[in-house]
Order: sequence, then C-alpha cells, then structure tokens
Amino acid sequence: MAEISPHPIPIPVDVLVIGAGPAGARAALRARACGLDVLLVDENPDAGGQVWRPLPPGFARVLGSTPSTEARDGDALRAELRRAGVACLFGHKLWNVGTSLRADLIGPEGSMSWQPRALIVATGTTERVVPFPGWTLPGVIGLAAATILLKSQNMLPGRRTLVAGTGPLLMAVATGILKAGGEVAAVLDLASQGDWLRTLPSLAARPDLLWQGLQWQARLRAAGVPILYRHGIRSVEVAGPGFNICTQRVDAGGQPISGDAAPMFEADAVTVGHGLVPGTDVTRLLRARHRYAAGLGGWVADADADGRTSVAGLYVAGDGAGIAGAAAAGAHGELAALACAHDLGRLGAASHARERDRLQASWRKSARFGHAMAGLMALRDGAVAGIAPDTVVCRCEDVTRAEIDAAARDGARDMNQLKAWTRCGMGPCQGRSCGDVAGALLAIHAGSREAVGCFTGRAPLRPVSLAEVAGDYTYADIPIPKAAPL
Amino acid sequence: MSLRVDQAVRRGPAVRFMVDGHAVEAFEGESVAAALFAAGTRALRQSPRDGTPRGLFCMMGSCQECLVWVGARKLPSCQLAVVAALEIETLSYREGHLG
Amino acid sequence: MSFDTIVIGGGVMGCSTALHLARGGMRVALVDRGPLCREASGVNAGTLTLHMTRAALVPYAMRAWQMWMDAEQWLGMGVLATHVPGLTLAFTEAECALVELRAKARREQGAPIEVITPERARQIEPGLHPSLLKAGYCEIDGFASAYLTGRAFGHALKGAGVTVFENVPVEGIDSGDAGHVVHFGGSAGGVREPLRAKRVVLAGGVWTEPMLAWLGVDIPIKVLVNQLIITERIRPVMRSVLSVANGLLSLKQFANGTVLIGGGWQGEGDRERGGVEARPQNLVGNMRLAAYAVPALAEARIARIWLGLEAETADALPIIGDVPGVAGAYVVGSAHSGYTSGPFMGRIMAQHILGQEPDLPLFDPSRLLGMPMPGA
Repeated sequence: MAEISPHPIPIPVDVLVIGAGPAGARAALRARACGLDVLLVDENPDAGGQVWRPLPPGFARVLGSTPSTEARDGDALRAELRRAGVACLFGHKLWNVGTSLRADLIGPEGSMSWQPRALIVATGTTERVVPFPGWTLPGVIGLAAATILLKSQNMLPGRRTLVAGTGPLLMAVATGILKAGGEVAAVLDLASQGDWLRTLPSLAARPDLLWQGLQWQARLRAAGVPILYRHGIRSVEVAGPGFNICTQRVDAGGQPISGDAAPMFEADAVTVGHGLVPGTDVTRLLRARHRYAAGLGGWVADADADGRTSVAGLYVAGDGAGIAGAAAAGAHGELAALACAHDLGRLGAASHARERDRLQASWRKSARFGHAMAGLMALRDGAVAGIAPDTVVCRCEDVTRAEIDAAARDGARDMNQLKAWTRCGMGPCQGRSCGDVAGALLAIHAGSREAVGCFTGRAPLRPVSLAEVAGDYTYADIPIPKAAPL
Repeated sequence: MSLRVDQAVRRGPAVRFMVDGHAVEAFEGESVAAALFAAGTRALRQSPRDGTPRGLFCMMGSCQECLVWVGARKLPSCQLAVVAALEIETLSYREGHLG
Repeated sequence: MSFDTIVIGGGVMGCSTALHLARGGMRVALVDRGPLCREASGVNAGTLTLHMTRAALVPYAMRAWQMWMDAEQWLGMGVLATHVPGLTLAFTEAECALVELRAKARREQGAPIEVITPERARQIEPGLHPSLLKAGYCEIDGFASAYLTGRAFGHALKGAGVTVFENVPVEGIDSGDAGHVVHFGGSAGGVREPLRAKRVVLAGGVWTEPMLAWLGVDIPIKVLVNQLIITERIRPVMRSVLSVANGLLSLKQFANGTVLIGGGWQGEGDRERGGVEARPQNLVGNMRLAAYAVPALAEARIARIWLGLEAETADALPIIGDVPGVAGAYVVGSAHSGYTSGPFMGRIMAQHILGQEPDLPLFDPSRLLGMPMPGA
C-alpha cells in the first residue's frame, strides 16, 4: 500500500509570518536581522498587503509621473525584502494551523506544511459595510475595493460614483475618483464635521496628513461635489443602466432620522464602507483569548504591547491586532519580531529592552492618528439598529435581519447558535462579511457583544477544494482502518 | 468612456480572454474581476436562496462574490490575473441558479 | 424547586425523553450545561441510514426514521428530514464480502436491504466512480439537518411544559430513599439552587460516564472525536446517501447544495476539552475517499471543518434502562449513531419510566458492569 503523504514532511523554521503587509513584512525583516530562520507567507502575488498593493504584473509607471507616497513606500518595502533575502512564499493560501502552530498551506505546486517554533499573525483587516436595501447589487462595492481598483488596477468604479460611509477612506476615494477623471455624485459621511475636528489633535505629529486632508476637501468643493455630513444611504435601486440612491439623515449614533427630506442622487456606481474589522480567523482557530474593543475595530486577540497572545508562541501585529494605521503597523511588526526573538532565546534582555522602548515610542506616536481614524470608523449602534428588517445581512446565504431577530426571539443567545438556526456565517466567506454586523444585531437582544461572542474559529481559513487538499492518489493510498462494528 | 485610467501607468499588452465562450478585451495582468467590470459585466453570479444578481464587492479575496471557474478550479476573480487565451466560466453559466 | 423527573443532558436522547415524560403527565426539568442539542446532537452528519446502524438496532432505527420524517407532526418543527435511498459501496473484493455480510445481518432484523449490481447502483446514483464492484441498497434512508434539532426541541419542550435550564452545569447528584438532589456548579448568574426530584435520567452522551460516577456506578464510555467536513453549495452531484462498506465514508448532498462528508475519521480531543483540532492526514483520507466515490466532488470547495464527540460503549450498543443499584435513576443514550434512533430511544425510556411497556426492549446498563472496553 502506497504510503500516505498528504504533505511533504514538515520542515522546521523559527518563525512563520502570516501576511506580508506593512506589519508582516517589517516583522519578517526584523526577525531575519535578529538571526532567526523566517518564512513570510501571503496569498497575494507580492508583499504590501492592502494599503501598499503593487501594480498588477506587466503594468509600469509612466516616466515622469509622480508616484504617490503609498506607491513609493510599497515599492521600497518590496525592494527591502528582496535585498534582505527574506524567504517568501507568495501565492500560498494558509488553510489550517494546528495547536503545535504547524501551518498547512496550499500553493500552485500543491499542499505543504511548515512547523515553526513561533507564529506571527499579521493578516490585517476586512471592510465592514452596514447593510442597506440594494447593497448586494452589482456595481455597489466597498471603499477598500474602490481603493484597490483606483490605485492598483488603475480603474474607475464608474463614470459617476456615489461615495458613502465613514472614515478616512471616504475622502481618499472621492478625490481619487476626481483625479482619475471620474465624477463623484456626492459624498455621504455618517460623521459630522465636529467629529472630524475632534481628530485634529491626533494630527499634531502629522502636518502632512492634515494638509492632504484639507487639499482633498478643497478639491471636492472646487468640483462642486456635495458633501453631506451626518448622512447615509437609505437604499440603492436599479434605474436603467445606473442607480437611484436615496439618502437619509442620521444622528450621532448613526440611527436614521425619519421625517427629514433627504436628497436623492443618480450614479452608475456606489462605493460604501463603514470601517475596518481586524481579521481574527487564525487567532480564533487557535483559541487565543479575545476581547471586544469597539475603538480598535471590534474583536481582537487579547495581546500585550509586543503582540504576545494568550497562546505561547503566537503573536499578532498590525491592524489585525487592532486598528492603529499603516504607519504604526510597521513598528508593531518589529515589536512582535523582537519579542519572538527574545522569547526564543535569541535576543538578550538588555538589547531587547533598548529596541523595544524605541519602537514602542515610535508606535505610540504613529498610533495616535490611527486610533483617531479607528474612532471615526467604529461601528455605530444606531446604524445597526436602523437596518431594515428585509435587508440581507449574510450575503452568502441571503439571511435577513428579520431572520436574525426571529432567531434571537426564539432564544439564540450566541453567534454559534445564531449560525446554527439561520445559516448566517455558513457560506464560503465564513462570516467575514456579516459577522461583525450580525454580532451587533444579536447583541441588541442578548445585551452585549461579549455575551454573544464570535463564530468559533474553524479550518479551513479560506475555502480550499477537495482536489487541492487530497492531491493525487489511488484507492490504495487511502488508509482503511478496521471495519465498522456489525 | 472607458473606466480604465491611463494617466499614470502603461498597461501590459492588450489581450483577449474567453468568458462563457465570448471574447473579452482586456490587458494582461489586470484582475479578471476588474477586466469584467470594465467590460460592463458586473453581474457574475446569483445569490443561492433569492437568486439576486451579485458581482465584485471587496476586491481582496474575502467576500467570495466574484467567484469564477477556471477549468476545474473555482477562484475569486479578483485574485486571478488576465493572461492571453485564459478561459473562464461564470458560476451562472456553469451551474445555473446555484451561485 | 422540585419535579417528578430531572433529565440531565439536553441532546436528542434527553430532549426526547423529557418531552415524552411531560406528555405522559410528569412534571419535568431538563438541564444542560450548554444550549440544547449543541453537542453530538447538533453537529453530527444527520445520517438516517440503516446501512451503518448496528444490525441489532435496525428495528429501533426504522421506527426513529419515521419519527424524524414526521417531526413536524409530533415535534411541531422539522429538521428538514429528507427521504432518499441509501447505497453502501464496495470498491474491493474484501468490501464486496462486507456488503453481503452487513446486508444479510440487517435483513434479518427487518431492514429492506438488497445487494445490487454496479449498473443498478449507477441508475440510482449516476455519479458513482466507475470502479464500483457492488453496492447494498436500501429504499429507507435519508438525512436531517442536525443543527436545527435544538430549535425544534426547544419549542416542543416549552409547549409541553418542561422547565428547561440551559447553560447551567450540573456538579453532582445526592441520591437517597427520598429521591435525588441535583447540584449546580457556578455559572454566569452565580450558583443556583439545587433541584429535587423522585427520578433522575442521565442523558449525557460521552459525559454519561462521569455522570454515572456521581451515582457511584462505573461504566466506561469511549469518546470518539469525529471530523466532519461541509462544502459550499455546489451543483447537484448526488441524490442518495452514500457510505462505503468499511464504514469510513458518509456522504450526502442537502437541498441547499452543500455536501457533508463524514465517516468517523478521528481528530484530536477528549471529554474534558471537547474537540480540539482535526488531524490533517485524516482530513486528507476522508476527502480522498469522498472524491473517489463521487469524482465530481473533487472540484468542491470546503467551507468548514468541525469536530463532534460521539459515545460508544464496550459492546457498541446503547445503554437504556435503570442505573444499576440506584433507585429512581435511569440512563439513556451513549450510542454510536445515536442521532439516527434518538427520538425513539427517548420514547421507550419515557415509557419505561411511566410504567408502560416499551415499544421495543431496552438495553440493560448492568450488562456493561465489569465488561472491558475492547483495546483498553
């Protein structure tokens, strides 16, 4: 009988870094500088994460064009990784992690496992969209998606786009559309101008960002783009080849204020986003302790300032550990790598303390702005309360708010029971699109986010096919133990 | 008016790839999701219960709305680069109303 | 608070027992340290088959099959129980011999199972692997969506007047001539008042072993840590319930298009920690078997993998009856494939407790006293 070998024999590395964005790439570089055997893994074709996405293969910047700061930072990071000779596995999907921290990956050549002594998780965030009627229509995309289209694919979302939601991406996307030659129908912001003004102190150390923000505002006004603060989308309907978008006024909590007439807009694309949610797939799978922190984006692994979680050998870094922004992410990645090197006995306490103090100071400085933005992006209870009953909340399974409320009234008291009774979270997105909003909806009945918890972390971390996992085999390759009892 | 923005980049070679048996013009290296979006094909599948049209949403491989078939593999098209002679099938085409 | 009977354990066995007792006129409390039907009863593959049921349990499984199909009537809410035929497959000569043996044993117990040719099997299930040699065929087969069970029973129990305590862990039982006192451990709401009853029913699945220990009775119960795999929705690729003669595959496609792959491949876990993690080589083995039996499954993407704890006694038969040596104490369950026959097992347990003649004989727990666990 052929020997069953689902994966090549695990090869030891010191530290496996999951995610090659600002945090993960910096963690890998620092770990290598500390003399550790590092492997950096990302499902994307190159490093940079979401915020520093490279151009698509075969694209080149036009000579004489001025790349943006992000483009420059991303190119610099990728170059540094190559120069430092960090071992990278791009285009590889992490689908499972064992309690020993063994990582199971699938890449173009098949499946493989790596057994590290430590794991640094820097998987970033996903975007949250609070549902509204019409949010699932083709042509309605996330703000992060619009950013990727504009900056990486060099494409507009539409000829005339409505931009809505909350947080720093709003103005960035709206001005990005104008710069690219598109029209912006309107910008709707759940926040008020007062909310934005209150973030000014956080910009004290970043006059460049303040200046950029003012320039964006000026550009939008010059183009005559209506900017409606304390407004959100009430509904999007198909109208010919485009959309009619009904808006609504909201209060400070995001709750729609009925009765007030609110403008309607026409556009052929809508881009909307209501903040970022840290990705906790891996840490939940490994049963690390988590806590709910609305100001950091939601549920996060309970970690110390260096990213150590409640599971030995498991570290988190970057926005996936709690939103603090791209600038802070790099420092956080380095802090995690240093802690890891120290914990593995490869960095003395004195050297560690020196570097750590410097990096923590740098992190605090950068995080001030990131935290202020996270505050703007935090999920607003009123927005959740205002979701109309027939609105789909779980996109994969078409589960509506009404069905979630019915399950709650029937006695569903935690996310897993909600999942069992409604199928919310059972689809291929594995709760990434709906989990945060569904949790907030259930919490209305159960009392708190802590009370309802999270979906239990499960493998696979991303959908993988039977063919990818099973590989090539014959019937004889399947180990058949003793027969079932008669 | 094309949705493609040519101010700051030079794209790779123009290519054609096949979608449900029809040719679509695109540029090598762009994501299939973006190429279809630019070609006006925004609906890529139907939702499983209600049959409502769905298309790209997150552009980062998370939402699973932009899935397409490439031979025997089902992939998010936002994570699939256009190459010459690529053949893809939308879910609606291959599976009918099943998403 | 005092009751006629306290049932400890809110899986399908405990819920069905409590429901039938209450409908029989008793004042019943049902207690579980978690929500109802969230352990084995809520996470199993939902297979309602006679092929993989122990031959001796076939008569029970057939009656329970009908109860699942009629759940809307007696339970008030269904679990999407679906009637399709079942095929158990043989791909090797050894498996052919097993198919014949298992079919014969089950026919003797009343199961309408016949051995059929691969051609006939392919008429029933066109997508089967071409190398199929033989199959066992049973018209009475099917599946349910196990994860709906808790909600269904919750409604029925409430309607029957059962007092349900969820998320309340029991710490111990004091038993005497006057009856039983059930003590609770700490929970989110602090320590609760104990419950009193003349009768107590242990329905703890894998946890029945420590529960029996509360009463001073030692019956070992093996803990199986089963891995289950569900795909995302795919096009129709199968229309029967499939198993392999060696017992290592269970395969079904639900109306929503998802395919559930099981078969008892073991993961890591135990009674204290629950299911901890899957074993990759066992995931691979299970998936290879599934994609071999139905080649169209190779393309399917997996949405989720989870673990469930299944109980098995030393002779792989249930324990249903009086707890040896303890007055007014009963035990029900701890059966391999207990979900399939669960509703009926609860009914006969209740009949016995109510002083009625059970529809079919019980399974005397005392037979297991001193019986060594195989392989121990």
